[in-house]
Amino acid sequence: MLEIRGLTKTFGALRASDGIDLEVVEGETHAVIGPNGAGKTTFIDQLAGNLRPDAGEIRFAGEDITALPAHKRARKGLARSFQITSVYLELSALDNVALAVQARSGRTGFWRSARSDPSLTGPAEQVLAEVGLAERRHMLASNMSHGEHRQLEMAMVLATRPRLLLLDEPMAGMSGEESQRMIGLLTALKRRQTVVLVEHDMDAVFRLADRISVLVYGQVIATGSPEQIRANEKVRKAYLGEDA
Amino acid sequence: MRRELVFWAIAVLLLVAVPPVATTLGQPFYIDLVRRIMILAIAAVSLNLILGYGGMVSFGHAAFLGVGAYAVGILAFHGITSGWMQWVVAVAASGLVALAIGAVSIRTSGVYFIMITLAFSQMLYYLGTSLERYGGDDGMRLRTTSQFSGLINLRDPVAFYYLALVLMLVSMFLVYRLVNSRFGMALRAARSNEARTRAIGFSPYPHRLLAFMIAGAMCGLAGALYANHTKYITPSLMSWQQSGDLMFMVILGGTASIAGPVLGAFALLLVEDLLSGWTEHWQVILGPLLVLSVIFFRRGLAGVFHKPHA
Amino acid sequence: MSSALLFEQLLNGLQLGVMLFLMAAGLTLVLGIMNFVNLAHGSLYMVGAYLAISAAQWTGSYIAGVVLGLLATLVVGMAIEVIALRTLYQRDHLDQVLATFGLILFFNELIAILWGRTALFTTVPSWLQGHIELFSGSRYPVYRAAIIVAGLFIGAALWYVVARTRLGMLIRAGASNRTMVAALGVNIRLLYTVVFGFGAALAGLAGLMAGPIYTVQPGMGEEVLIQVFVVIVIGGIGSIRGAFAGALIVGIVDTLGRAFLRPMLATMVSPVAAERVGPALASMLIYLLMAVVLAARPSGLFSARNV
Repeated sequence: MLEIRGLTKTFGALRASDGIDLEVVEGETHAVIGPNGAGKTTFIDQLAGNLRPDAGEIRFAGEDITALPAHKRARKGLARSFQITSVYLELSALDNVALAVQARSGRTGFWRSARSDPSLTGPAEQVLAEVGLAERRHMLASNMSHGEHRQLEMAMVLATRPRLLLLDEPMAGMSGEESQRMIGLLTALKRRQTVVLVEHDMDAVFRLADRISVLVYGQVIATGSPEQIRANEKVRKAYLGEDA
Repeated sequence: MRRELVFWAIAVLLLVAVPPVATTLGQPFYIDLVRRIMILAIAAVSLNLILGYGGMVSFGHAAFLGVGAYAVGILAFHGITSGWMQWVVAVAASGLVALAIGAVSIRTSGVYFIMITLAFSQMLYYLGTSLERYGGDDGMRLRTTSQFSGLINLRDPVAFYYLALVLMLVSMFLVYRLVNSRFGMALRAARSNEARTRAIGFSPYPHRLLAFMIAGAMCGLAGALYANHTKYITPSLMSWQQSGDLMFMVILGGTASIAGPVLGAFALLLVEDLLSGWTEHWQVILGPLLVLSVIFFRRGLAGVFHKPHA
Repeated sequence: MSSALLFEQLLNGLQLGVMLFLMAAGLTLVLGIMNFVNLAHGSLYMVGAYLAISAAQWTGSYIAGVVLGLLATLVVGMAIEVIALRTLYQRDHLDQVLATFGLILFFNELIAILWGRTALFTTVPSWLQGHIELFSGSRYPVYRAAIIVAGLFIGAALWYVVARTRLGMLIRAGASNRTMVAALGVNIRLLYTVVFGFGAALAGLAGLMAGPIYTVQPGMGEEVLIQVFVVIVIGGIGSIRGAFAGALIVGIVDTLGRAFLRPMLATMVSPVAAERVGPALASMLIYLLMAVVLAARPSGLFSARNV
């Protein structure tokens, strides 16, 4: 579903991405792990279209999307969540998700009220129920907790009916209970979605991932099943001090 | 919601009552004053569309006032006095100029956008001063007001007043529908969180450009009205001072609402009128007042009635 | 069009460019380091002109006028910064624009109250009068040549400070990453006030230089300011190099345009049409140039920031 070849991005003297080759198979949950500074967010930014790679190619469902801007990739079904939660704080949860539904619909309008449009609010309420935010749908996003923001962001991502999810550290900053809820949500998603997951939370990674790629200094040093990665010498060395 | 409607009804009634009351009291000057405020309020409402809802700090909005006014003036100069034709050209020309300016400027953001819009409007100001045929620096008279096939006589101050009132209410209603429509929500989303907006699949640029054009066109209509009001068209209508005034109206009134710019227009212009009655050097007082208002007065007048919504 | 005329206009363009550079340098630093849009920069230009002229009249000496005028402008600049502008650093650009707009109204009117609205007349001091001989028998006013020399010298000095000294390093660091500089424990407040005052002094210098050549009246700052904006947009925010390049480009294009566009057009279309269109087009030239540069490089030619 996603083929990445030779992805390279340099910032001055720093090679954030150094010839990354990666393949994501349809239906799998593929985790990308690595020590801090390995270039994981840079990697996601290039996949999502927020950053232009200096070299390399990205193919999504067979189509070359390397030069495609972010909003067009979203339209093609590549959805991303942000490491630092990014929702519309001035709007209610329902309005937030309704915007995502509106984006997917591709239709615009200049007169009829979008907020009271059932073709937008209906699907939005459905998705909110899926992520467990049904009771909070009229709550202003700025009044929500961090964990609820994450749920809301997941709802927005799902509302665009993506074919591939790019999740940048969805567990970051979550309490134990919130993490469990998110893992539950992601486990339920596994059956229906292809997911690329950048994460530090190893508990979540080993429970969710079908395959894992390890990114160190901008290069993929190993790819394989969780057991293979756990046993891999190179990975052990790179992760000195981290629990694997 | 109920409180707002009541406030609205009272405000409209007050405005409707101004001509008869002013005439009875023998103070027709107030009809002119309030009419001028309402015309500039239309310009402020149009600016709020791109500034308040679109998040684009345009410091050259007065340029469209000028384009609209000159459209009327130039056509009248050449013998075309039909208001229908003049005003349609005014709106269309302003929209096109907005398209040209916006196409280049909207790719930039932040400080650049402010400076560029200011620069472009200054360019139009210089263009206006160099049009010797149409008065150049001194401007030109409008000898005949726009003719509307006998439907309305703009020389009648009261009739013109009510036309301005109606147009102001109509423009507010148009902006209201626009910002709550799908287009408007996407525009506001882009202002609220640009990265998130791209990530769900909207491209901010086309939304912003279209909003910029609509705002320009609406301001052009205000310009056409203004030309008929002052019956004198000068380049100073496009000056950066005028643009700054418009921005102040929007900010003072509160950007998060439809009525805000109207309230701001009334507040600023009434204060200006009051101060200029006291002293010729009223700007030396207004200047610091404006500075203080920016430093201390964050929400704006309309915020009193509206909780902050997107 | 003789080559002597062309050369003279080129020099005039250089002279305008140098003055624009003095103003742009201060403004672009304040913009780059403090992320602050200061519309009142033009007012400092005006204040510099008026104070220098008055000081010269009061003391009877041009040099004393220059020195006192500069010092006074520096003080005024720092006073504005401390009293009114400090609170606005954290606010968004819109608030900064509006507040400094209010300051412009205030200063213009204050000057009008103190000195009246009619243009102030001032002359070049006797030791700067006259012409110098250039090659090919053409002459150029000493005063304008002095401006060019002074401006280039200051430009070089600025470059030296920014590129080679510790203060300059702080300034460059601040222009690309403000938070980092603050986190490193540098006294940010002092740095800001110094930078602002410095920029004010440069604007004042440009203003007092302008005295004999351009009109000295309330509102003189704003016309220049908008040209300075064009310079900064073309050159890129936060970059002294960009300010220099942009200023020279704008100065030369504007001057040559005003001098030669109409005659050039007259050779292509009828003189009447050239007369109508020429001056208008000439005054629009630098804005059209700005539009072209922006279309190619939305952040200007030498932007100091990543975005």
